[in-house]
Amino acid sequence: MIEVSALTKTYGKKRGIDRVSFAIGEGEIVGFLGPNGAGKTTTMNVITGYLSANSGAAYIGGIDVLEDPITAKRKVGYLPEQPPLYMDMTVEEYLNFIFDLKKVRELKRAAHLSEIAALVGLTDHYKRLIRNLSKGYKQRVGLAQALVGNPEVLILDEPTVGLDPKQIIEIRNVIKALGKSRTIILSTHILQEVSAICERVLVINNGQIIADDKPDNLSSMITGDRKLSVRISGARDAVLKTLREVDGIRYAEATIQAEQGAFDYLVEAVPNIDIRKPMFGALAKAGLPILRMTAMDLSLEEVFMNLVASKGAKK
Amino acid sequence: MKAVYKRDLRAYFASPLGYVFIAAFLIIINGAFYLTNIQNATNNLSGVYQTILYALIIVVPLLTMRSLSEEYKQRTDQLLFTAPAKASGIVLGKFFAAYTVFVIALAFTVIQVFIVAAFGTPNLASVAGNYIAILAAAAVYIAIGVFVSSLTENQLIAAIASLGIFLGILLLDIAYSLVNSSVVKSILYWVSVYRRFNTFYLGVFSIADFVYYVSAAAVFIFLTVKVIEHKRWS
Repeated sequence: MIEVSALTKTYGKKRGIDRVSFAIGEGEIVGFLGPNGAGKTTTMNVITGYLSANSGAAYIGGIDVLEDPITAKRKVGYLPEQPPLYMDMTVEEYLNFIFDLKKVRELKRAAHLSEIAALVGLTDHYKRLIRNLSKGYKQRVGLAQALVGNPEVLILDEPTVGLDPKQIIEIRNVIKALGKSRTIILSTHILQEVSAICERVLVINNGQIIADDKPDNLSSMITGDRKLSVRISGARDAVLKTLREVDGIRYAEATIQAEQGAFDYLVEAVPNIDIRKPMFGALAKAGLPILRMTAMDLSLEEVFMNLVASKGAKK
Repeated sequence: MKAVYKRDLRAYFASPLGYVFIAAFLIIINGAFYLTNIQNATNNLSGVYQTILYALIIVVPLLTMRSLSEEYKQRTDQLLFTAPAKASGIVLGKFFAAYTVFVIALAFTVIQVFIVAAFGTPNLASVAGNYIAILAAAAVYIAIGVFVSSLTENQLIAAIASLGIFLGILLLDIAYSLVNSSVVKSILYWVSVYRRFNTFYLGVFSIADFVYYVSAAAVFIFLTVKVIEHKRWS
């Protein structure tokens, strides 16, 4: 559905993206993961025809975005990082304008627009001025705009940024529901978001794709279950001694005394080994109860370090 | 084009901008009407029409400063230029929206013709010719204004730059009457919007000058489209 080959875009001397290539099949939900400035937005802007690449090509449904932009753009709904809203319009007026702008002919206007409003949860705010909506609702209007005309492809640039946790979950659910019938690319710099929504992840850093895989395969890096924060009741020396005897634990140290008679410990496992069960067994045997266990999320930077390191090792 | 036209036209009257433009325009023009026609009790409206031409210098920047600048600033240009629409259609929509507001303001000046008709006989052929000429000359100014607004995301810079260009055109016109060299004169004649208005002012309808105005407007609309297309490559 989407094919990108050797896309390069430079801003003056600075390289935005460098020979980015990937292909996305129909109905896939693909996450575009990378830190700020990695080239996510640039890639999306090229695919949607907002920017032109210096070299390489992008195809949507087999149509070259540069050669036949009108036909290609008709297939795409785009939610840019900052939703492109006209503050002086009501939601209703805005969606009607989008309907005209996209020259939608095959759908019934009123029915289509109210269907979209219901889908993203805007029905109660349909007659309100966009200026007066909260950030979460503005984001929904942005998403609604992308859906006008039922495009086959949705490109969403950081759709959950700036929303509160409840709104994030709602928007994610909307995206998941949309993904049943559409091809979706969404970008994010939040690791959990990818594992929550996407079937496939493209990791981009410094303008290059450094990983293309299922979230499960990247999960040891993405979910960060290699590092645990564990609160254990009992004498510190005894706990550390027990921990260090467990197979698969590479490193353990006490961080703070969190409660009376209990310390928090940072425990790191050898790669690809789940240490939670053996650790529980060993501590139980020693009569040292676990009060709490949390997986420490790796920061995006750590994931990149790992990915870059593993890529370097392969070479 | 229609969608952008409708939205922009609506936006002019959703904010005070459209009203401020019409009010500013009418204050200047009716002042001129009072001073020339009422005070001097003349039926010749050409003075008023020439004032309109000078008023454009001040009021057109108000009208066009937001045109594309505001889209860049609010990032709504991403919406317009990723929609299945041509850049030329978007620019034309914006141009005609601004133009329509101008035509609405100009329509109010027709009242003056009726006032003159109540007390004397206006030269209707000259009046009609002048209106056509104003409509054509205003198209040039508005096209320049839209073009300038496509160059910056700052409305204020767009307004001041357009004002500067319009004043520059006026200076060229003054220069025309000051220089003696016929070569320089003929060059200045080509870039002066005012010089060409004089034929209409005298009550002569000149097809050549009308075509000049329309083509000049078309050139700036074309340049605006080019600016937008170029932006994608920057």
